[in-house]
Amino acid sequence: MADTTALALQGIRILDFTWIHAGPSATRILADQGAQVIKVESNQALSVVGGPASNTARGLGQRHNWNAGKLSISLNMKTDAGKDLARRLVAVSDVVAENFSGRVMPGWDLDFESIRKIRPDIIMLSMSGFGRTGPWKDRVSYGQTLQAWSGFTDLTGFPDTKPSGPASAYSDAVGGMAGAQAVLLALIQRARTGKGQWIDVSQMESMSALLGPLALELSAIKTDVQRTGNRLHQGGGAPHGAYPCLGEDRWLAITVFNDDEWDAFAGAIGSPPWASEERFASAESRLRHADDLDKLVESWTSAQNAEAAMHMLQAAGIAAGVVQTGQDMGENDPHLRERGIFKQVPDASGVLRTIERAPYKLSLTPGSVTKGAPEFGADQDLVLREILGVDDEELAEMAIAGAFD
Amino acid sequence: MDLSGELGVYCGKLLADAGADVIKVEPPGGDSMRRTGPFIDGVDSPENSLHWRHYNTNKRSITLDIESEDGGALLSRLAENSDVVLESFQPGYLDSLGLGYGHLSDGNPGLIFASLTPFGQTGPYKDYKGSDLVGFAMGGYMYVTGWPDTPPNKLWGLQAFHTTSNRGFTGILIALYHRLATAQGQQVDVSMQEAVATTTEHVNTTYNYTGENAVRCGFRHGGQFVATWQCRDGYVSITTNTQKAWDDLRAWMDRDGMAGDLMDERYNDRFILRGEHGSHIEELVEAWTLTHTRQEITDWGQANHHPWGPVSTAAELLDNEQLWDRGFYQEVDDADSGLKMVYPGAPYKMSESGWRPSKVAPRVGQHNKQVYCEELGLSHEELQELTEAGVL
Repeated sequence: MADTTALALQGIRILDFTWIHAGPSATRILADQGAQVIKVESNQALSVVGGPASNTARGLGQRHNWNAGKLSISLNMKTDAGKDLARRLVAVSDVVAENFSGRVMPGWDLDFESIRKIRPDIIMLSMSGFGRTGPWKDRVSYGQTLQAWSGFTDLTGFPDTKPSGPASAYSDAVGGMAGAQAVLLALIQRARTGKGQWIDVSQMESMSALLGPLALELSAIKTDVQRTGNRLHQGGGAPHGAYPCLGEDRWLAITVFNDDEWDAFAGAIGSPPWASEERFASAESRLRHADDLDKLVESWTSAQNAEAAMHMLQAAGIAAGVVQTGQDMGENDPHLRERGIFKQVPDASGVLRTIERAPYKLSLTPGSVTKGAPEFGADQDLVLREILGVDDEELAEMAIAGAFD
Repeated sequence: MDLSGELGVYCGKLLADAGADVIKVEPPGGDSMRRTGPFIDGVDSPENSLHWRHYNTNKRSITLDIESEDGGALLSRLAENSDVVLESFQPGYLDSLGLGYGHLSDGNPGLIFASLTPFGQTGPYKDYKGSDLVGFAMGGYMYVTGWPDTPPNKLWGLQAFHTTSNRGFTGILIALYHRLATAQGQQVDVSMQEAVATTTEHVNTTYNYTGENAVRCGFRHGGQFVATWQCRDGYVSITTNTQKAWDDLRAWMDRDGMAGDLMDERYNDRFILRGEHGSHIEELVEAWTLTHTRQEITDWGQANHHPWGPVSTAAELLDNEQLWDRGFYQEVDDADSGLKMVYPGAPYKMSESGWRPSKVAPRVGQHNKQVYCEELGLSHEELQELTEAGVL
């Protein structure tokens, strides 16, 4: 067996000023691989979602999921002593990450030009809604704003209902993935050239990159593109949708594309008379009669248990899957359990907290975090004394100067 | 070497656009993705697919029947000189051809072998089939998307595939960084179900921390004041993420004489929408938003530093001045069709690491001669024979 205790990002230190979803989820991806992530927190922002003072259970869950394995220090960046400590931390860090509005880091003399004077090969990750240049650089956004502006909200939903848009903040998850990818690209570049760089993530751009060929289509064909419910905008098959099953709000996603799949599907559900109707004989014709076909498929699924129907259809080679709830994934899915998608890690009091593991299994450097989110300011001693070498006297002076308030 | 299908094709694009020399390996006759529209001039042909063109920018294309003996041998030789093999076949398929990680890494210990599949390489569902919709369903994102009275819904576009590719790209970059220090490659196993499951913001944390299932709530999120409203010319997103945003909104409604009783102090708490007054407030706010346009609400909100913005329709997307100003969109002249096409660009801007401008995707087997003859050293006669034998 290969040794799998090596961590790909061992020795990389990240000074993490980020808050709210996209930022912390980017640095969590890097913490999983062994980077030492030092969260710089302040009393000013304790109660935002996922912050240490989030008083809802959900906020607590997000705090642990986004911040597991990180260290936390509190710095009052309104004081000179706090800013001075931040600059000393920059000098011993590989990456500085932030997702404030554009005015904040320059206001602390921690914009890229300033921090590269402290550490010439520094990598700086700046994440924002619209990017740090251009006419919209000072506009503000939340996940919902970006989903709306980038087109996802209007395009997600059924043709005959109001758009629903993505549930959750897809744009924040996307921003987190983008931020982590860009830091990894920059680390590779630095290893080859010795140079650091500034990363300017516009979440509007990260989202717009995920609209597939839409820009090509709009420019080359000028079609009127509308939301399509659970059908595909292009390259669709039928049936292709979520069908109700026995029980309350239980659904099965079924997708059939080619004729072989159709024959297998019809056989698996017992070859009802309608399945041999001429109008369903070819993929093109099934697509044309998809509304009628949906109703007939529903007449079958509505008497089925969703899980049993999934197994039965999968045994026939059909892509079918239960529309799983949080409970399905957390308790009932034997596959996710065997693959260990959830991990239990202790918080500061030793209470086990559930977090997600990284969504890829690397055979040699799987990585992992071993503890939950840090308590606010929990690692003051480790960071200031051991990493920066600050002594008792200096610590006292900084405290008096309000650096930690 | 990009052997992948729909699950991995975007991962290959990210690698290629970030500068890697990505060789798309197509079956003789061309990849099946070339049959997905939309098509230039509406003509269904392998070189006309905009779907194909989008996902294969900056790649080279070779054709190869990897199931044939000669084809397998050629792939092994190509893999010897490759840094990454990207594939999305059913688990065990490449092994059965003698082309799995164990085989290909034998002469190339630095090889990174990334497998992007619906359910991963292990576990009871590993052989289950998956489409974008099934990945979205099994990963828990679909159950919460849509309105309470609609079926669960997927996101627009192939987001389960995209997310799998995004996760795969991240895993490959981690492996590449590790390899710089150790010269060792490794396997990267990405499951679409897990890629989706870890992309939902609140589905797992809500259940794991409260014992309740997150449910569908349209664009009124989590009962908080993160919401989208119908207005005079469409829909507008109004997030009252701060007390000031809620107070500003109420004050504006009041100036228009439409605040009803919302100025009453019992509505001071901005999280009031979570509670029993939710539907009452919704009625008042939407009656008011219907009297304004997206632009009016967006401009006023942004001027006051609130994250408010329009719900853009597809027809408006290419008018986004910010995306043009920053060079995200690029207009490319397509020599074959004479059309000007707008390509989306980099998902992030980096000051030292570039992102390649979009180059028209390769034609079927466009680089056969270059790759097989000039780089692998086959003679032109061999190329001819392999082509005639249907291997290429």
